[in-house]
Amino acid sequence: MSYSTFNRKHFDSTKEPMFFGENVNVARYDQQKHPIFEKLIEKQLSFFWRPEEVDLSTDRKDFQRLEEHEQHIFLSNLKYQTLLDSVQGRSPNVALLPIVSLPELETWIETWSFSETIHSRSYTHIIRNIVNDPTKIFDDIVTNEEITKRADSVSKYYDRLIEMVSIYNTMGMGTFNIPGKGDIEISMPKLKKALYLTVASVNVLEAVRFYVSFACSFGFAERTLMEGNAKIIKLIARDEALHLTGTQHMLNLMASGKDDPEMAIIAEECKEEMRNIFVEAAEQEKDWATYLFKDGSMIGLNAQILGQYVEYITNVRMQAVGLETYFPTKHNPIPWINAWLVSDNVQVAPQEAEISSYLVGQTDNSLDDSDFDDFDL
Amino acid sequence: MTQTSMTSISKHALPETKDQVHRVLIGKKQILVTEEEPLLVQLERAGIHIEYQCREGYCSSCSVKLLWGHVSYPFEPLAWVQSGYMLACCAIVKSDIEIAFFD
Repeated sequence: MSYSTFNRKHFDSTKEPMFFGENVNVARYDQQKHPIFEKLIEKQLSFFWRPEEVDLSTDRKDFQRLEEHEQHIFLSNLKYQTLLDSVQGRSPNVALLPIVSLPELETWIETWSFSETIHSRSYTHIIRNIVNDPTKIFDDIVTNEEITKRADSVSKYYDRLIEMVSIYNTMGMGTFNIPGKGDIEISMPKLKKALYLTVASVNVLEAVRFYVSFACSFGFAERTLMEGNAKIIKLIARDEALHLTGTQHMLNLMASGKDDPEMAIIAEECKEEMRNIFVEAAEQEKDWATYLFKDGSMIGLNAQILGQYVEYITNVRMQAVGLETYFPTKHNPIPWINAWLVSDNVQVAPQEAEISSYLVGQTDNSLDDSDFDDFDL
Repeated sequence: MTQTSMTSISKHALPETKDQVHRVLIGKKQILVTEEEPLLVQLERAGIHIEYQCREGYCSSCSVKLLWGHVSYPFEPLAWVQSGYMLACCAIVKSDIEIAFFD
């Protein structure tokens, strides 16, 4: 069972499951098993943006004026976001494209991953603008223990699926001894289980972990600091809201059995493990909050409040994939985040700083009071 | 997961107006809404704040439990709507309804 970039078999792709059916051959969208994925593609394309559209000159000045512990919060948060998008910019492609069986889903995966590469480029744009030596920041992502701990938990499910699929593609089914790893059993139920847990862990990454980091970014902007950064994060948050809907659809379609009856059995078996993925991630995010605020809090946000937000958002996301909520926190402790998360096409808060569509090459961030000297009322 | 019975109840208690008016029950609170706008904006106007992000049906932040009653969507939302839930940002209330947040 090896992967082919153009499957020669003649088959009806609308009869295939989302994953582990036939390899896709013709990229055709005239007939679709799950039209939702094409709708997600269209939406994602309508969101297209470039980081360079956002002016960050004021952020540089703001950053220099931040207190040391606030710089630690800002930079650590940015490093974490960089890590998450480094993983997301490649992993859906590497892990899911070799096993996808529907053209509309294949293209959604590529579109989704591509948008993550825009996010990665925007972190470089931010870092270049606020510090003189970006290398120090990027290098720390692979050496800082607090960050590498998280790298392990966000990549391990992907890595396991990729490993199993590559064995499956070269050796087929069976138990194989992999040097340094021992015996690995490859069977369709094992592959599907690895897939289901991977999609669950990606949902946690995009729907929980990212939102915790957004809260920190917007925490600065609430104090009218690092507003250019917040504009970029707002655009990223709009994309992530769409991506998390994508993984929620995959998980719910799998669990419903409408896509692949065998997957419904696997989803049921994995319920406990999926719940643990959410809870474990939430605990890690709370530990991370403690690390962020270890040298001091900032106005409006501290480890405790951020921890409550972790619990709240985890509950929301668990419920969205059919799990019972786990944490006691039922209310959003930082309701102001909604005004920052809201998408631009609905202008509820028309302050210029909050509407990124106004920003496309339009703003002059170097205005000061003297520019209005010759105004008379 | 709670199952919803999509029962509509009679509206004889309400005056007949040109625009249909429905009751929305949320715990012990009750507000009146029309069919002209989605539920979310009408809740906000009544001072009831619920979570939102996209306000156009793809992020599912405004998902609330629909305990009973009818709602309809002028366009099908992109978000997955769990059975027994509704998206307040884009749902039009079509009968008296009762909604709830988290358990």
